[in-house]
Amino acid sequence: MSVSARLGILFLAPALIFVTLFFFAPVVLTGVFSFTNMSTATGITGGAYQVTSNVLRQLADEGFEKSTLDRLGAKSYVVSAQALVVATTEGVVDKAVLVELESKHLGKTYQSRRDFERFLKKLKNRPRSTRDLKKISPYFRASLMGQRFESEEVLFAMLASLDLGLPDPQMRHVARASYTGWVWGTGNFKRMFSLGDNLRVLRNTGIYVVATLLLFNTGFALVLAIATFYLPGRHSAFFRGLWLLPRITPPVLYVLLWKWLAWDTGFINTILANFDIQSRNWMLDTGANAWLFVVLINGFVGASMGMIIFASAIKAIPQTMLHASEVDGANRWQQIRHIILPQIKWPIMFITVYQTLSLLTSFEYIWLSTDGGPGTSTEVWALAAFHAALDNYWGNLQYGYGAALALVLVVIGVVMSLIYLRLFNFDALITRPRIEQ
Amino acid sequence: MKYLDRSLMKSTAVATLVASMMGLAAFPAAAKDLTVQVWAGGSNVLDSYRVDAIVMAADILERERAILGEELNITVETKYDFDGWEGFKQAVTLAAEAGNAPHIVVTGHEDIAPWSQSGLIRAIEDYVDFDSWPLNDLYENLVEIASFDGVIYGVPQDAESRPFFAWIPHLKGIGYSDADIEALPANIQSGEYTLYDVLADAKKMQDAGLVDPGYGWYPRVSRGGDYWQFYLSFGGEMLDADTGKLVFSRDAMQKFYQFFADAVAMGVTRKNHIGTPWDQWYSEVASGKAGLWHGGTWHYSRYTGKEGLTDFFGNIQFGLIPAGDASGRANTITHPLVYLVTNRGTDEDATIAAELIAIASEPRINTLHAIKSAHLGIGQSQSAVPLYANDRWATGATERLLPYASAQPNHTGFSPFFDAMWNGLEATWTGQKSAEEAVAGAEAEVKVALGNDIIIR
Repeated sequence: MSVSARLGILFLAPALIFVTLFFFAPVVLTGVFSFTNMSTATGITGGAYQVTSNVLRQLADEGFEKSTLDRLGAKSYVVSAQALVVATTEGVVDKAVLVELESKHLGKTYQSRRDFERFLKKLKNRPRSTRDLKKISPYFRASLMGQRFESEEVLFAMLASLDLGLPDPQMRHVARASYTGWVWGTGNFKRMFSLGDNLRVLRNTGIYVVATLLLFNTGFALVLAIATFYLPGRHSAFFRGLWLLPRITPPVLYVLLWKWLAWDTGFINTILANFDIQSRNWMLDTGANAWLFVVLINGFVGASMGMIIFASAIKAIPQTMLHASEVDGANRWQQIRHIILPQIKWPIMFITVYQTLSLLTSFEYIWLSTDGGPGTSTEVWALAAFHAALDNYWGNLQYGYGAALALVLVVIGVVMSLIYLRLFNFDALITRPRIEQ
Repeated sequence: MKYLDRSLMKSTAVATLVASMMGLAAFPAAAKDLTVQVWAGGSNVLDSYRVDAIVMAADILERERAILGEELNITVETKYDFDGWEGFKQAVTLAAEAGNAPHIVVTGHEDIAPWSQSGLIRAIEDYVDFDSWPLNDLYENLVEIASFDGVIYGVPQDAESRPFFAWIPHLKGIGYSDADIEALPANIQSGEYTLYDVLADAKKMQDAGLVDPGYGWYPRVSRGGDYWQFYLSFGGEMLDADTGKLVFSRDAMQKFYQFFADAVAMGVTRKNHIGTPWDQWYSEVASGKAGLWHGGTWHYSRYTGKEGLTDFFGNIQFGLIPAGDASGRANTITHPLVYLVTNRGTDEDATIAAELIAIASEPRINTLHAIKSAHLGIGQSQSAVPLYANDRWATGATERLLPYASAQPNHTGFSPFFDAMWNGLEATWTGQKSAEEAVAGAEAEVKVALGNDIIIR
């Protein structure tokens, strides 16, 4: 490897690290998560084993014997010799209560923790604080219900201590059913493809990307760039600065301004009230209205980037060409059509590609303005993934399902990139360096 | 907000003094310093006692321990200004995954099922005694709601219910006499006055020009458990008691969706009502701009406080949510918040956190929250606390509503069910789908998300 090649890798190293950390790692993790049923209930970092009524019902459905299940489901507390030994050796400080239990109450059984503790409180040597009381009772628990076992081995040991005579496969079956953590599976994808509403969300995403892109991020950006090009220098700077405002305003504030504009008691209604038009929330009135606002809100932000790129590209066109065309009698439209547009073909393509991919994954302005409403008429794919994985009213965040939804965006993004590369023939943009062979 | 309580010297002095006075064996126990974090969801400044009660409790617990010769210094860090329930739940779950959960959370009871499965919370019954004061004074049904699978996970923090409200001057405007208005709550409870009577009255109010079109029936403006009430009104069931599975009552769901579609079709509710800003909504219902609506018992403090409604009882009548038809019943849903102890810290830390919660549940301390925020009490003795007993709203609402209140089920699968219900309702309401299509969509959604955990009827 030549020195310059090695140097090249060295110079690229920071970029590679960032790409790995902030692109490859998230994509890989999204891929991994999407094949799990991870949620708030399962946690992310692993699970434990817990025999609950639900587990018992599941086992019953799967053909476990009733007698076994009754034993598993019993909630008893027993004053047993074994429990007393463990309690004595493991450090119940107050030995008097243990002595009293052993001498007078050996073999007694209680149906619940509450009953057992009520009994403890009646002893002569009763624990004198709630803390001590609570420390004693776990030693006498003779049931699995309501307990949490951190490993399969502990669960098996407890199952063995119940003398159920369960064969190995059945023990494993119980372990599988009582596992609280996440498991691998393709359920997320089945769910995703079987829901008709997801088609609608996909269609919304298409509308959102195409409309915002064509009307604003390239279309309007082009109009702005060309219009300001023909303005005197000072004026053009002013108008370009004006169109940058939406981008530099904090998103929450920016969307709030739009909301004030559209609310029942907002600006539009205050004006229209003079014409006897009934006030309404213009943004959420109908699906079409919501779309209009979503596209405007995003478009006003998005147009500025294209405007800057196009404007600087137009500036780079040799002035002589324009002067020559004027000598030939070309009007403005002819200049735009035959000189400016052909010369800024590449920037237009770049903005189109870049903005398609960024619109595909952007949802923050929609979240802040319509939150996908009314109904789900402006719910786009990225927003749906966010809602599923991280923003849920009732609190059960579905990381796995959200990741599966997000993975679709990754796939669409990669496919579209390949198509664009092919379509626009990006190779032609790159001139091979003349120094290296 | 931070509260730095008790100087070291003060508690040491008290401990030494008391120990010597009582002749206790003064074991030189090591001082214990603990910072307890308390986060409360769904709260605003009126609900500050959800977290401040823990600060008060810390003072008492320190004194109790000092008497026993233990030096305990508790610093309580409180936070309740989250970005809605979504933001709060996201913050708690993600903090917990990173090992930084607060020690105590105040949240809706519905979180008990998923959070106990993931091990995020501890069963509080392992740390405090429900047979001793003040926990033995709590209403049994509230303790039941704070339990899951036979284990008590949390201590109820407050109770409420969600009434139907009517603006009295407008009722009079469409011909109600004083006696009729007085009898309305009883007529609702008996099932004589139904949801479709609500729509009819709303229409009359609009036709009489008392309220603007779309303001006759003015429901909640955002997603919420309140909407299950209408499902119950049409005979829906949420949980099958025998199997512990969730229940999707197709018929009730459709009638419930249809009811809101009809309200829009009659013009008494706006098609774009959902998404109306809360501030606007509060000011409108508290000033007679709306005719009939529904809300929560805690709205009382907002109407009479920030919104400046001086004569609540002269202007507003309240009752249960009316039945939809003969198959349903008048009802209300209570959504108690609960104190939960998380898996953060050692067992000893958890014991202290749980004891703080127990002390914060004393009738007098809880009454501060109940009255300030217009919630209902959690224990029987609160009716004997003057601040509570003398409050017309607290006692009136407790009597009229709480006996008929039910709660949403504690079930790990309830969240997807909730989402499906809401999506369907919103789609019907805004005219994206017919009630029939929306029910089919919701049914498909829960079937895929919950499989065997839900029974479709």
